[in-house]
Amino acid sequence: MVFKPMRNPNLGLCFSPLFMLVLILLPTARASAASIPHGTVDLVAENQWIAPGRQTYFGLNFHLEKVWHIYWVNPGDSGQPPRVVWHLPKGLSAGEIEWPAPRRLGTSTIVDFGYDDAVMLLVPVRASSTLPANQAAQLGAEISVLVCREICIPGKAQLSLTLPINSMPPEVDARSSELFTAARKSLPRRAPRDWEFNVSDQKDSFVLTAKLARKTTQATFFPLEESQVDNSAPQKVVPVATGFQLTLRKSDQLLKPIKRLKGVLELSWDQAYVIDAEVGDALLAR
Amino acid sequence: MKRFVIFSVLFVLGVLAAPLLILAAKVGQPAPDFTGTASNNQTYHLADYHGKFVVLEWHNNGCPYTQKHYMSGNMQKLQKQWTAQGVVWFTIISSAPGKQGYMDANGENNYISKMGAAPTAALLDPTGTIGHSYDAKTTPQMIVINPQGVIVYDGAIDNRPTEDVRDIPGATNYVNLALGQALAGKPIETAATRPYGCSVKYKGTWF
Repeated sequence: MVFKPMRNPNLGLCFSPLFMLVLILLPTARASAASIPHGTVDLVAENQWIAPGRQTYFGLNFHLEKVWHIYWVNPGDSGQPPRVVWHLPKGLSAGEIEWPAPRRLGTSTIVDFGYDDAVMLLVPVRASSTLPANQAAQLGAEISVLVCREICIPGKAQLSLTLPINSMPPEVDARSSELFTAARKSLPRRAPRDWEFNVSDQKDSFVLTAKLARKTTQATFFPLEESQVDNSAPQKVVPVATGFQLTLRKSDQLLKPIKRLKGVLELSWDQAYVIDAEVGDALLAR
Repeated sequence: MKRFVIFSVLFVLGVLAAPLLILAAKVGQPAPDFTGTASNNQTYHLADYHGKFVVLEWHNNGCPYTQKHYMSGNMQKLQKQWTAQGVVWFTIISSAPGKQGYMDANGENNYISKMGAAPTAALLDPTGTIGHSYDAKTTPQMIVINPQGVIVYDGAIDNRPTEDVRDIPGATNYVNLALGQALAGKPIETAATRPYGCSVKYKGTWF
């Protein structure tokens, strides 16, 4: 992610009392949606105000027309993930995007990872403890996004949102709480501690063995790194009493052995988990 | 008898499927041979270029990523630079009729002259035969074949997977790198990358 200093001095801390009055009167949870090709995007705040020394989540809330889609952090065989350049007042800094689990999009030969219909990407914004309170902060986000159906159209959007800065502990904005609840639900979680994942290197494929203490019939793996797994190859799931084995064909672009396989695993109960497993030698694994 | 029929069907399916599996092109393996008709009406046979370096460039002039490299003149510069050194350069259009980027011979000839493009030839591959035999996924996707007919580079044009023209200066161009190292008799450092761009608009796909 790129952080840029403020370009426009008008964005930032606004001291004018008249401005503060306008602020109080205006709804602040979300900026009006900006249009992108075949859809819209808006910037949504989770909390009613920004508190110095704390973190607040913001959402990049995308809505797309039917059959159009955008991309996950690893877009797969084609495409490009959305990018954001933040314009934040001094004392605020944006973290990395937190990406909901994607879907497989495509055909038998080209498979991409992304989202259709609607998705909200979450971004934590940290406020320094020295951020002066009782002011307003204007946050700007410059979005670049590739929107595709069969064809792809690049789009840009400028979003901005003004929130008060208040030293009281932040309170959730009821108008956006449903959106954030849904977005968090779609984020991949850390796997429970008693689950075990092993990956063995089997010449043309990786075999991911998952021990989850329950038989699992469906699993889809989304590689975080490009060029490790063949995106379009069918992923073969073999359910076993304690979990499953998933065979992932190696990418043709993978010319060297890898140490770890990272990604998101979506299971049959519609929940996704973060996987970061060491790749072991096939012979040793046996 | 019934079992025999099933076996026969499976056998025939196996025989049909086998070449597809064997053909999957990969770095370090022989480049699948092809015969292609170009927009200049000539026929080009890959095997005729044994002894030369050959570049394959998948192309779709409606794709923003292709446009990035043509509007900026980057692709034309590469074509001129390398063909001047004896490299054979085939631009390949695997878009099916009715799909984005599909071109007939006249249309492509006009495009080449308008853009000042300088490939050895632009091969028209509306059936996707050449594209599928190389498992070409995106436009642009770049493949470099060495004089022995072996694929030595397969992947992206450079290390900036965006459609933004401003990303061209300062990018590491993998085709330049591969050809530069190969022509100097050095091993190619980066032989395979994830190609970026639009998906190739093959026949029969909606995507």
